[in-house]
Amino acid sequence: MTSSCVVPFIFLLLLVGCSARPFYPLPSKTDNKYRQPLQTSRPYNIAHRGSNGELPEETAAAYMRAIEEGADFIETDILASKDGHLICFHDVTLDNTTDIAEHKEFANRKRTYEVQGANTTGYFTVDFTLKELKSLRVKQRYPFRDQQYNGKFPIITFEEYISIALDATRVVGIYPEIKNPVFINQHVKWPGGKRFEDKFVETLKKYGYKGSYLSKDWFKQPAFIQSFAPTSLIYISNQTDLPKIFLIDDVTVPTQDTDQSYWEITSDGYLDFIKEYVVGIGPWKDTVVPVINNYLQTPTDLVAKAHTHNLQVHPYTYRNENQFLHLNFNQDPYIEYNYWIRKIGVDGLFTDFTGSFHKYQEWTSPLTPGDEDASELLHKIASMISKYIRK
Amino acid sequence: MTSSCVVSFTILLLLVGCSARPLYQLPSKTDNKYKHSLQTFRPYNVAHRGSNGEFPEETAAAYMRAIEEGADFIETDILASKDGHLICHHDVTLDDTTDIAEHSEFANRKTTYVVQGVNTTGYFTVDFTLEELKSLGAKQRYPFRDQQYNGKFSIITFEEFISIALDAPRVVGIYPEIKNPVFVNQHVKWSGGQRFEDKFVETLKKYGYKGSYKSEGWLKQPAFIQSFAPTSLIYISNLTDLPKVFLIDDVTIFTEDTNQSYWEITSDSYFDFIKDYVVGIGPWKDTLVAPQTNNYLQTPSDLVARAHARNLEVHPYTFRNENSFLHLNFNQDPYIEYDYWINKIGIDGLFTDFTGSLHNYQEWTSPLSLGDEDESKLLHKIASIISKYIRK
Repeated sequence: MTSSCVVPFIFLLLLVGCSARPFYPLPSKTDNKYRQPLQTSRPYNIAHRGSNGELPEETAAAYMRAIEEGADFIETDILASKDGHLICFHDVTLDNTTDIAEHKEFANRKRTYEVQGANTTGYFTVDFTLKELKSLRVKQRYPFRDQQYNGKFPIITFEEYISIALDATRVVGIYPEIKNPVFINQHVKWPGGKRFEDKFVETLKKYGYKGSYLSKDWFKQPAFIQSFAPTSLIYISNQTDLPKIFLIDDVTVPTQDTDQSYWEITSDGYLDFIKEYVVGIGPWKDTVVPVINNYLQTPTDLVAKAHTHNLQVHPYTYRNENQFLHLNFNQDPYIEYNYWIRKIGVDGLFTDFTGSFHKYQEWTSPLTPGDEDASELLHKIASMISKYIRK
Repeated sequence: MTSSCVVSFTILLLLVGCSARPLYQLPSKTDNKYKHSLQTFRPYNVAHRGSNGEFPEETAAAYMRAIEEGADFIETDILASKDGHLICHHDVTLDDTTDIAEHSEFANRKTTYVVQGVNTTGYFTVDFTLEELKSLGAKQRYPFRDQQYNGKFSIITFEEFISIALDAPRVVGIYPEIKNPVFVNQHVKWSGGQRFEDKFVETLKKYGYKGSYKSEGWLKQPAFIQSFAPTSLIYISNLTDLPKVFLIDDVTIFTEDTNQSYWEITSDSYFDFIKDYVVGIGPWKDTLVAPQTNNYLQTPSDLVARAHARNLEVHPYTFRNENSFLHLNFNQDPYIEYDYWINKIGIDGLFTDFTGSLHNYQEWTSPLSLGDEDESKLLHKIASIISKYIRK
């Protein structure tokens, strides 16, 4: 070969090498002829912070496990880093769920800030860049849960979380929270005068999340936006018609932005007002059915009021451990699920134990089988009548 | 009327008043044309000490609740009082499950005895008459369980336990244990040279319990007799053909009567020997599948396989809902634990503190087949299943 052929040839190799594109589409990217849709025939199984009963909360592993276990929605809390990246993280401080204490290089970052009226000391996410946050490792918050994954997983971003949902083999919804927006907007500034809520919605739109509740668009990529701050929800209602959920804290906690009491925001008048902006409420379950001496009392009328205003009710949070189970439930989380679904009639629940709730639902209200189950069906009928066959 | 008529009439009234017998049969005593029989197609739900997840253990309330919740068998531990009555009580001492500490009249009864080689101090049942035991109030053993019934129920006798089972609206089996027989026989003497085991079987016979495993007589009044002491089981095998279960303690514990180690009594040759006397074994579940230090399960041992090979059933103890008792493989979910033991390990019965939870699990995953009266319901069910395939 002449040298003039060699150069273009090398050039060509470089081109191919650099684009490195397979000539066939990746298996997960082919048009799925059938992707199992979101179920809407029974209350939503919302994986609260992922399957954090088993894995450290809000990690990729916790979310993927939740999807594997049958979650309808994976839930997360969105906060921000110092340089304005949106991250999945529940606490404003890193102390309880990361190994920040072992990072001497950050020892001088400990601060005291006021958060929702209370002085709070710790390492705040808003004082770390995303790169610095990514150098930390997440740990299991509760000592009585599995500790074996401590230090193995990093904090993930809002976008990484969305990718996990979109890449699932069936339709899985997302349920992100605009968390501590008052605090975030005080500490983090974005260019162009944008606020935390703007960046939040921007991210959702970037990935094609749109559509009002139960619309066709929404079914393709289901999502609920949740927040304790009513003004944030009202603010974004101009930017997206995705369904919003108004979170309600304990009876002693006023809203962080409007300083309204529990009694005010659960009144008929307020529900009348907020129902123009949200499709449901997310109350703390011990306010829906009060508890004395670890026994349930008569339920309040909150669910009835909400349902009358056509508002869904998604209480938080359901946990398997007996210390979280009121004595009426005989230390049995399935009896708790049964009470809330059958007696109280909620429309979804936030659970730390996606797998347990999924089992409960599959055993007591299984989804109708699809067409591909005809032979399974025949087997089932055969076993039903087999006992009548004389041996 | 003459005075003699009045006298006769009065005597007649007295007669009737004293016999006070209703002229119609009590509802619960009429011949039940159909008493739901014991299920035998899925592992037995054995209510360990009654439904003691909810009520103080071994009380009438705990047993009645267990029956309500669907137990196949109600389980109990039989000990004896000072005057030789057989009672339902697990511990040889009264300290952990009764209000004995509040009875100043018994304060001087505290003592120390050797129990299975260990010096034990407390108030022993064998130092109290039945009347005295009945004056105590039972309490919930675990502080993290419901305390509201403390002091409300008393200790019951073996006979009272049996009555609860026999009076149930469906067939409910009993699963009594000959508990600490070496200790009881040391401290309590019966007339005529009878031993604890003799009185135990005598009580069962008195109430008509008899018949080998799954015989017609047995299915009417099912019962298993359990014990950690092999000689007791062998001894009573001459007295009754009711099925017996050999209990096996932790790997460090020796049998109280024959001082044999765990390894000896779970060996092939021992199984070959004991299988002529018992229909099954009742091991501590952590010896069947041992946990590691990180609270994850290891590979199962071959104990179940070897037992099954000799036609011995396996009924491990004890299954509890609280996460402190659940190994991490089970995601703090007692139903996942049931699933593992029933479907992976393949045991034949479980002793559980939470009868209702196990019953839920079984009903949801292996529901009882319908009786004959449900044929039309069955047809309706099949029709609704295939209806969605009918083209509209």
